[in-house]
Amino acid sequence: MSGEQPTNLPSEQELAEMSRDELVKLGTKLDGVELVHYEEKWPVAGTKAERRAQRAVATWFAISALSGLAFLGVFLFWPWQYEPSHSDRHLLFLAYNPLIGLFMGLSIFAIGVGAVLYTKKFLPDEVAVQQRGDGPSAEVDRATIVAELADAGERSGLGRRKLITRMAGLGAGVFGLGVAAVPLGALIKNPWSDSDSKNSLWHTGWKSENGEKVYLRRHTGNFHEIVKVRPEDIEPGGFETVFPFRESERGDEHALVAALKRSDAPVMLIRLRPNQAVVKRQGQEDFNFGDLYAYSKVCTHLGCPTSLFEQQTGLLLCPCHQSQFDVFHYAKPRFGPATRPLPQLPITVDEEGYLIARSDFIEAVGPAFWERKS
Amino acid sequence: MTTARSNSDTKRSRARTKLRRRVAGLLALGFALLSAGLLFSAFAPQAQTAAAQQDSALVRKGEEIYRQTCSTCHGGGGEGVKDRGPSLVGVGDAAVYFQTSTGRMPMARQEAQAERKPTKLSDEEIAALMAYVDSLGNGQGPKKPAESGEALRGDNPARGGELFRLNCSNCHSATGRGGALSSGKFAPTLDGVKEEQIYTAMLTGPQNMPKFGDRQLTPDEKKDIIAYVKSVTDGNNNPGGNPIGGFGPVSEGFIAFIVGIAALVGVTLWIGAKA
Repeated sequence: MSGEQPTNLPSEQELAEMSRDELVKLGTKLDGVELVHYEEKWPVAGTKAERRAQRAVATWFAISALSGLAFLGVFLFWPWQYEPSHSDRHLLFLAYNPLIGLFMGLSIFAIGVGAVLYTKKFLPDEVAVQQRGDGPSAEVDRATIVAELADAGERSGLGRRKLITRMAGLGAGVFGLGVAAVPLGALIKNPWSDSDSKNSLWHTGWKSENGEKVYLRRHTGNFHEIVKVRPEDIEPGGFETVFPFRESERGDEHALVAALKRSDAPVMLIRLRPNQAVVKRQGQEDFNFGDLYAYSKVCTHLGCPTSLFEQQTGLLLCPCHQSQFDVFHYAKPRFGPATRPLPQLPITVDEEGYLIARSDFIEAVGPAFWERKS
Repeated sequence: MTTARSNSDTKRSRARTKLRRRVAGLLALGFALLSAGLLFSAFAPQAQTAAAQQDSALVRKGEEIYRQTCSTCHGGGGEGVKDRGPSLVGVGDAAVYFQTSTGRMPMARQEAQAERKPTKLSDEEIAALMAYVDSLGNGQGPKKPAESGEALRGDNPARGGELFRLNCSNCHSATGRGGALSSGKFAPTLDGVKEEQIYTAMLTGPQNMPKFGDRQLTPDEKKDIIAYVKSVTDGNNNPGGNPIGGFGPVSEGFIAFIVGIAALVGVTLWIGAKA
């Protein structure tokens, strides 16, 4: 390609007579490469040192194979199930992860060491110098390349066969549209089209639908075990995180899990000590039931769970940015970046003595959003 | 002949049965009265007076300790002193056990929060103090459980872990390392805390910890939580050798970053030196 081709190329007959060494020499010369230094690692074959080096490399590859086998064995047969700390099989259980990592790592590491060792011990030492070309390619090269490309395009016939190009364009375009629909869809869907639904930003899972009672439910770690909370369950100075429950959802695994996992669902049910002086928020004077107050657990700053409750000072702390809300003062922020009090859930007790939500929160829970004006 | 004999026989036997019935009745009455009296004297009054005497001796001893070590802040009769110490009426012996056995009470000085320190009172003194404070609320407050030690560990640490993450990890962190609260207060680490102390802490809600009564977390659930706490504290959750604070990905990532960067720099230097 380059313009520096040597003129004295060997003829066909000469080429056929050349040995491999000569051919290699010719090749490097044609590429403009000059071998400055070349030295065999083991000029005398079969010495003791060479055999030792050979054994060392082979050993590393053998180590790799063995630890690969050990990895497979541990992965398949080791007792990986949890054992409590007082069990005598606890150490076995603890060893599972480290062993898997150890053997897998050793296997990869040994292959690497073997490869590096081989190049170090057996590949000949050589220093080669290649001259770098200066400036752009020659004018001839550039002009001919452009012509060749244009010619290839012309000969492929794509310019003339309109049907094929159009169909190919259609296929690619529609595929692109499908891919784009995912990110674009979020911009097109209007989150305010159904602002009365419990799934809208204005409402939460506590919104009663079709007039059905919404109970305060305890999470026992097992979503099938439904425990409705009674006022006397919480001791003075106690608190509990509760979730919405509707009788129509009993047995409905999907709905039960969804109610526990919804990000706007967690509510802290706090029972103050008797005779605690409390400042209530205007318009929310009857939201509590006796000493029981229910506040959203979602921080009004950025939505972390504000569930570090200090029962003597009445402070609820948010672990993310240290906002503090005063439960004795309608959960008003006392410190930190939060600016709005935690929304309060109006609660009461039904005829069977279970705590229920009188309605949804009267404001949106969690962090502020564009359409929220207060 | 047979009829005459049988006649006189029946007459005699009738008289005998009458006599026998009377004697048996008298005997039965006497026996009943005697045994009732014996039962009464054996069980009711004596046992009660003995227990009451023992109790009141313990309460008196407790009162003495109370006056010496507690009354400055909690008042002469446990009614509390404003801005110094809360009332102890009705807190129960569980609260006394937790506060004194962990060395939090008696307090050295008023500060953000009473910290765990070596116990000042002996086991007998604590027992006496428990009896006294319990008597202030007429035995109404939460009671220290009868079991102790390993008997308080439930058999389902997995459920305990779930409940711990739901109720406790907010402040104590998922592996019981503890964490910061407001104005110098903090949730303490759960390393080296006895089972009874964890149990009574849940039951009484010491200082700023909320109270978890038996209707909220049943005794079985409390025991499972203790089993979980014991499985992750005291170095039991330490497969890597060094827990690096037990804060999870924060400190682990930090160490991995430092060690990894150092290794990369080392390898780079080595390659540079070879070239």
